[in-house]
Amino acid sequence: MEALLKKLTETFGPSGEEAAVRTLIEAEIKDSVDRIFTDNLGNLFALREGAGPAIMLSAHMDEIGVIITHIDEHGFMRLAPVGGMAPHLLIGQRLRFRDGRVATVYHEKLKSLRDLEWSKLYLDGGAAAAPPENPVAVGDLACFDQPFQRAGGRYLAKALDDRAGCALLIETARRLPRELPHTVCFVFSVQEEVGLRGATTAAYRLKPAYGLAVDVTRVGDTPKAPVMAVSLGQGPAIKIKDSSVICHPLVRRFMIDTAAELGIPYQLEVLERGGTDAGAIHLSREGVPSGVLSIPCRYIHTPSEMVDAGDMEHALTLLVKLCSKPWPAL
Amino acid sequence: MPVSGFKIKDVLMELSAATGVSGDEGAAIDVAARYFRQYTDRVKRDRFGNLIAFKEGKLPAGEPRFSLALAAHIDEIGAMVTQIARGGFLRFTAIGGIDPRTLLGQAVVVHGRTPLKGVVGALAPHLLAERERRKELTLEKLYIDVGLSEAEAREQVRVGDLISLDQEPVLLNGEKCCAGKAMDNRAGVAVLLQCAAELASMQHRADLYFIATVQEEVGLRGAVTAAYGVSPDLAVAVDVTHGAAPGLPDHEVHSLGKGPVIAIGPNIHPALGEKLHALAQSYRLPYQIEPVAGNTHTDAWAFQVSREGIPTALVSVPLRYMHTAVELLNLDDLIAAGQLLAFLSRSLDGAFWEGLSCY
Repeated sequence: MEALLKKLTETFGPSGEEAAVRTLIEAEIKDSVDRIFTDNLGNLFALREGAGPAIMLSAHMDEIGVIITHIDEHGFMRLAPVGGMAPHLLIGQRLRFRDGRVATVYHEKLKSLRDLEWSKLYLDGGAAAAPPENPVAVGDLACFDQPFQRAGGRYLAKALDDRAGCALLIETARRLPRELPHTVCFVFSVQEEVGLRGATTAAYRLKPAYGLAVDVTRVGDTPKAPVMAVSLGQGPAIKIKDSSVICHPLVRRFMIDTAAELGIPYQLEVLERGGTDAGAIHLSREGVPSGVLSIPCRYIHTPSEMVDAGDMEHALTLLVKLCSKPWPAL
Repeated sequence: MPVSGFKIKDVLMELSAATGVSGDEGAAIDVAARYFRQYTDRVKRDRFGNLIAFKEGKLPAGEPRFSLALAAHIDEIGAMVTQIARGGFLRFTAIGGIDPRTLLGQAVVVHGRTPLKGVVGALAPHLLAERERRKELTLEKLYIDVGLSEAEAREQVRVGDLISLDQEPVLLNGEKCCAGKAMDNRAGVAVLLQCAAELASMQHRADLYFIATVQEEVGLRGAVTAAYGVSPDLAVAVDVTHGAAPGLPDHEVHSLGKGPVIAIGPNIHPALGEKLHALAQSYRLPYQIEPVAGNTHTDAWAFQVSREGIPTALVSVPLRYMHTAVELLNLDDLIAAGQLLAFLSRSLDGAFWEGLSCY
């Protein structure tokens, strides 16, 4: 899991440019599934045939990033957020483009840091010229450039949101039994961070009987954090609600019962702000009963997202079991 | 034109008292389903939980079938437990647009292992500094007290349990007005039932779908899947709108007792809106007009863009104190709204339906 997480999180993949992540995942999962295909938006589907109706498992490949909006004659680049990126997190950060080129971010002179806004930030890639001499073009995307590291029992990396979910889906595929009560479709979705867009079309195409998103969630266990009854290291979280979905009671109950049966720790999650692929899946066509398995994560949408190794292992155990047993009828 | 055996007052009060916070509308749906069964051919719940009652239209042989959906959301605003805090006090988040100012001192039911009575507490004014007292009240400052110790509370309540307002409906001004929780939008469901009851004695060509949608208050979610699943040829959403009250400008509100409110604007198919308008006039029903510049924030918004697009209209009932436990309305407005929808159902024919896509 750790080696896989390292590869996944260090790969470039802001929303809209998930190709490198997709190529990596395809290579990692292809031997564990019956069929693999992509769709018009770039979602990757990896399918294991089973006896019963399909369960769609979804983890998003994309990460937050920035897009270049303007390049001046001195080579300074202006930027805008792709997904929920905060400007103050970027100061002094290295960003990386698709081709591996790096740049750093700084700001114009400010009276106070409170005046910081996107229009005051610029990106410096070392080229002192406008295009075409500058290798970067308007519209190019960049993401955080940070290595994956282990810190005690925890993992630190950019893009754990949601490569942690991608890693879990890949590992789940590797451990599924030969006979499955349901067809299990692993979906690696695009453009979640800009509005659950990949999952929308993926669910429409698959017409699954059930949906299950796997994504990170916030925690309330850091100094003076807003109230949230989820902590790092206390087990994966079974989502009740976020801004995008109220998880189906049947799916929720099934997940809770399965975790209890396995004797693994779990937490119940009510996320006051934020959404995930299940928000799109559950509203597909006539509605798809959906749930979410969440990985507790600190510092979401920063260059140093943190998840707990034990939470990941427990999540994996739970996911394998969820995919191996028959789901309750509606 | 009273319908025998159907009393809107009783129906509305029973619906209002039933619990149905977004995401768990079961109890309210059971009440609605019992009534719909009396007036329609068949009743079912779809995969998303929406209640769909069907009544077949009677057409001359050879004419193409077409359908009208009448939709009202049955979910109500409420809250959800986010944390069982020290001392057994419950922290919570809003389900739908609940206003913290109206929650303070409110009786609630926490739907734990068993339903628990509770009250919404905050620091007493005596204990607050003057400056604190003037500060805005936010949900983070409120908690629910169910009178249990922390250990007992942990036994009975879990994160994610729903909380509903605890308020029996009351009649005012004789039996003209009714106030209570969840009138938004049990009033709309009652209007659908009034319409269905009226139609017991009327012929209609259109196949009729009466839909009680779920999860409207969290983003029109039930309407999204119901519109796709039923795929009607026309749709009318029924909801509530702001009633006149002190301090509100006349041009933003509608009077209680002056009839249902017919919306116009980009969310409304012009010919369908005009049809409602004309029907109200020819049957001498009281009505009011509400121009809405864009999103009506009702199920009509979801229906309009389902699949290939559905000609959609919106009929509303004026209501005061929206999203509180004392939402107040006039029952005559509900009756007139139900009659208007019945007249619409009766008047629709294939030619009108086909004309809707000709601009």
